[in-house]
Amino acid sequence: THLRAWDSWGLLACLCTVLWHLPAVPALNRTGDPGPGPSIQKTYDLTRYLEHQLRSLAGTYLNYLGPPFNEPDFNPPRLGAETLPRATVNLDVWRSLNDKLRLTQNYEAYSHLLCYLRGLNRQAATAELRRSLAHFCTSLQGLLGSIAGVMAALGYPLPQPLPGTEPTGAPGPAHSDFLRKMDDFWLLKELQTWLWRSAKDFNRLKKKMQPPAAAVTLHLEAHGF
Amino acid sequence: MALFSVSKTAFLLAFLSLRTYQSEVLSEPLPWAPESLKVSVNTTSQSLHLQWTVHNLAHHQEFRMVFQIEISRIKTSNVIWVENYTTTVKWNQVLHWSWESKLPLECAKHFIRMRSAVDAAKTPGPRVWSSWSSWEEADVQNSLGQDLLFVFPKDKLVEEGSNVTICYVSKSHQNNISCYLEGVRMQGEQLDPNVSVFNLNHVAFIRETGTNIYCKPGQGDGIKGTVLFVSKVLQEPKDFSCETQDLMTLNCTWDPGSDTGLLKQLSQSYTLFESFSGKKILCKHKSWCLWQVAPESQDMYNFTLTAENYLRKRSVHLLFHLTHRVHPMAPFNVLFKNVNATSATMTWKVHAIGKYYTLLCQVELYGEGKVTQHNVSVKVDGVHLFSGLEPDTEYLAQVRCANGDHFWKWSEWTHQNFTTVEAAPSEAPDVWRNVKIVQGRCVVTLFWKPLSKLQAHGKILFYNIVIEYLDRTSGSEVLSIPAPASGTELPLNQCSSQIRITASNSVGTSPASVLVVSREPGNEEVEEERVKGTEDGFPLSWNPQPRHVTGYLVEWCEQPRDPPCDLQWKNLGPNVTSTVVSSDAFRPGVRYNFRIYGISTERVPCLLARKTGYSQELAPSDNPQVVMTNLTSHSFTLSWKNYSTESQPSFIQGYHVYLKSKAGRCHSGSEKAVLSDVPCVGWLIVPPPQQITEIISILTYFCSFEEGKVLIKNTTLFSSPAPTLIRILLPTVFCILLIMITCYLKSQWMKEKCYPDIPDPYKSSVLSLIKSKENPHLTIMNIKDCVPDSIEVLNKQEGTRKSFTETESTKPTYLYLLPTEKRYSSPGPCICFENFTYNQAASDSASCGHVPAPPKAPPSQLGLLTSPENLLKALEKNYMNSLGEIPAGETSLNYVSQLASPMSGDMSNLPKNPPEPALCSEYKMQMAIPLGLASPPSSGSSSLSSITLLDEGERYH
Repeated sequence: THLRAWDSWGLLACLCTVLWHLPAVPALNRTGDPGPGPSIQKTYDLTRYLEHQLRSLAGTYLNYLGPPFNEPDFNPPRLGAETLPRATVNLDVWRSLNDKLRLTQNYEAYSHLLCYLRGLNRQAATAELRRSLAHFCTSLQGLLGSIAGVMAALGYPLPQPLPGTEPTGAPGPAHSDFLRKMDDFWLLKELQTWLWRSAKDFNRLKKKMQPPAAAVTLHLEAHGF
Repeated sequence: MALFSVSKTAFLLAFLSLRTYQSEVLSEPLPWAPESLKVSVNTTSQSLHLQWTVHNLAHHQEFRMVFQIEISRIKTSNVIWVENYTTTVKWNQVLHWSWESKLPLECAKHFIRMRSAVDAAKTPGPRVWSSWSSWEEADVQNSLGQDLLFVFPKDKLVEEGSNVTICYVSKSHQNNISCYLEGVRMQGEQLDPNVSVFNLNHVAFIRETGTNIYCKPGQGDGIKGTVLFVSKVLQEPKDFSCETQDLMTLNCTWDPGSDTGLLKQLSQSYTLFESFSGKKILCKHKSWCLWQVAPESQDMYNFTLTAENYLRKRSVHLLFHLTHRVHPMAPFNVLFKNVNATSATMTWKVHAIGKYYTLLCQVELYGEGKVTQHNVSVKVDGVHLFSGLEPDTEYLAQVRCANGDHFWKWSEWTHQNFTTVEAAPSEAPDVWRNVKIVQGRCVVTLFWKPLSKLQAHGKILFYNIVIEYLDRTSGSEVLSIPAPASGTELPLNQCSSQIRITASNSVGTSPASVLVVSREPGNEEVEEERVKGTEDGFPLSWNPQPRHVTGYLVEWCEQPRDPPCDLQWKNLGPNVTSTVVSSDAFRPGVRYNFRIYGISTERVPCLLARKTGYSQELAPSDNPQVVMTNLTSHSFTLSWKNYSTESQPSFIQGYHVYLKSKAGRCHSGSEKAVLSDVPCVGWLIVPPPQQITEIISILTYFCSFEEGKVLIKNTTLFSSPAPTLIRILLPTVFCILLIMITCYLKSQWMKEKCYPDIPDPYKSSVLSLIKSKENPHLTIMNIKDCVPDSIEVLNKQEGTRKSFTETESTKPTYLYLLPTEKRYSSPGPCICFENFTYNQAASDSASCGHVPAPPKAPPSQLGLLTSPENLLKALEKNYMNSLGEIPAGETSLNYVSQLASPMSGDMSNLPKNPPEPALCSEYKMQMAIPLGLASPPSSGSSSLSSITLLDEGERYH
């Protein structure tokens, strides 16, 4: 009964909050404008495409690094890659993220990952690998732009990079070539996890932004309390 | 001289003082012992660096000393290295010495000590050593950090084939640490409880990003590793060469050889050093480098090219004079002037090389499949005249130059095309004609071959035709046929005429070709000869003409079957009497006709010979349309008048006619008849008329053009169909009728004999059989002699049939009309008419008396049946006994009608009203039944019996 009472109060509070902020939600204020729905869909599609693209690239690059990095069950501790944006997050935390925070985290993560990836490209020895990495960087740049577009459509400001926090290439100080290879491994792994997470993020956003699903969105938000 | 003696004296004094001092040292410790020994570790190079000083040296003193250095590992007693280091020691000098360890220094502690001695190699006697310094310890394990596991060395660079030692240092107590080289576990040796060492021998290059070596404990996910960069052996640069194009810059090139396979930052570098000038540059590229020449100040150059990486250094040298290495740039501005039909002037420019050098230029001209080459000396501008060129021809000219004074290399070619202008055609067109008379008028068709490029000297625009009539009654006719026509048809006013044909281009007209057309068609009566074609063509020959001829001409059609026939001709000289005509257009199986003309001095052609033949003969392709006529009883005529031998793919040599009988045997005298006259009408005598109906005539013809390959087609001829039908049908109908009559008579006889309508025992053959075998005294009872006192009518009841059903299908149904004479148990002789039609199983049951029904009839019943007196009683008493209940074996005479329907038949069809007993009249008649008994019985059971006895099939109305 206590929980039910809490749920009722939470629902009421949520409804009030939402109604209060309703005029401020751009998605509900549109008049004939398709809104961010199509761009969210495109961003979602792009993440799926990048997932597919990265699968091929990672295979090539890990073979280039050699064993044990290309072994399927290789799962080293995440030692030197602490500066990499971490994609894994508690499920409840992830559910409780609001749209702005969700998009901001995505944007920041890919901004960092892109810089690291460009550093990887500079170090690559073979021309073919450099070409593949450059192509992937271009696609990732496109994803960043796409996320920025969604944020702009929803009225969210782009996060400003803090001075001095911009990564310069390699993620963290590499003590040895083996650790550098480990960092490269983790960079690709985090990138893969981020793309997987982004697909979930944008799928969630997509469902929320569908016009008839506005009421459903409120209901789902209420579960978050 | 005085100065020399003074210095010599001083040297001797100094040496003596040294010896004196040494003798003193023998008893005391050496005063110049090493002091302040410091050991540092360079983990990058895995080397120990030692520095020390020697005290007690005077300010001006300088000795050559030997330092003996000992290095121990793990413990001081484990000496692994002893080396004597000799050097000159000065006052206040800090001495240095390095030692590179094969084992990574992080893997174990090292201890170092040293002692010194004055290098007295030139002086005899044992070396006097100072006392040892104290052991200095080099231990980097303390500064490794907080991690629990380390792998050394870090990121080492070695050359392919080297031996490398790897170790791990574990700070945990776990001993089950496994190490892997590229995923393959390594086996090492334990240096101490926390350190294991792995020796890798002859390491191989695997990839640019290095060989991965890593260790991991048995528990936990910690993994530590190192990358071993293995470089391929740096190769010496090959083909090192320098040259200049302008005496300003030297371009030095070389082949760096195979790549070392290292990342860019670890790859080798190339430096160029010139010893005369002492200059050195670092080359930006791996295979070439530019060197700025000091103008007019240096002629000789001595270069050293050095390839160097972290592991190796390779050098090559080159000494040369600058002017001997001039490789001029390609000429430019190549132009053609005064280009006419047969000559052109080419000019070009060259890049200047200094002021006093002359270039040697080579000029080549390509055209009409030929190459001409010329050498020209050039200072600044080059000029060359090409002559003897063909008109209207495109040429390619190219020029290259080299240093004329000291040849080194040719420059690149510079190409340019030009085309000479047109000139008048040089040759008369090759013309031939075909003359025919159309409505009394000569019509000549002219053919000419296009002039070759060398003859035309330009593009032919028109063919001009001038017709001059020989009788001078008509004027000349002039025609102009635009190119690229290759012929024209001209109706002539008069046949006797001379035709002149010329070809014109934009510059002029060719010489004329002259043809004379005569009224006489020529010697058309020349007999045609056959000629056999070969792979090379048709060999044609003819007799030389006694008259003077200017030449011969062979004419043929390349497409003889298709009009126009594509007339071809071949001009031959006056002394030629044979030729071979070949053409790609000749096809096997096509007859080609050749005409050979002699051309008189008046240009009048005269037919000399006609030849015909095949390049290759083939089998005839179509059948002759054979018609059979005049069919008589003795002969018929075959004819194939319309068979064209000209259109056949070979010469028809004859026709073979075969006549075969139906049995496939050839009739004698008519197996083969070769009719060699072509075309012809063949005839054949056929066999006598009575055999005609038995014969199918088969005509086979074939053409024998090659031995062994014959028989081509078959044609079947049928004789007139109507008489054949009559001959076959009439006997067939007659035979059928005969068979039918015979069958009818036979069946009548059989019926009479076996199953007459009214059986007559006297006529039965069965009786005779019984008589002969069983009872010779058996006689036939004459009914007329019998006076029956009673009559018994046996009826089959419908209800009793059910008891019969089980045996019904396997046993014949018997109707017991008369009792036997007392023998109930054993079967007696009987007459049986079995209906095999209805019961096949019955036929298998041997004789009729052997009815397998059990002979167990009730005694009363049996008794009743044994005498005629009891018959009626039995009927009265138990009339309902079924037939099945009567033992079959007790009967003596059975009769089963063949017309009886099976008992299992449809009972529903039985009439409800019982028929009159009088219906069984035929039996009654045989048994002479009194009329009184013929009346229907009064009881219902008897009525029922009569119904079952006479079912549908047994009713005789």
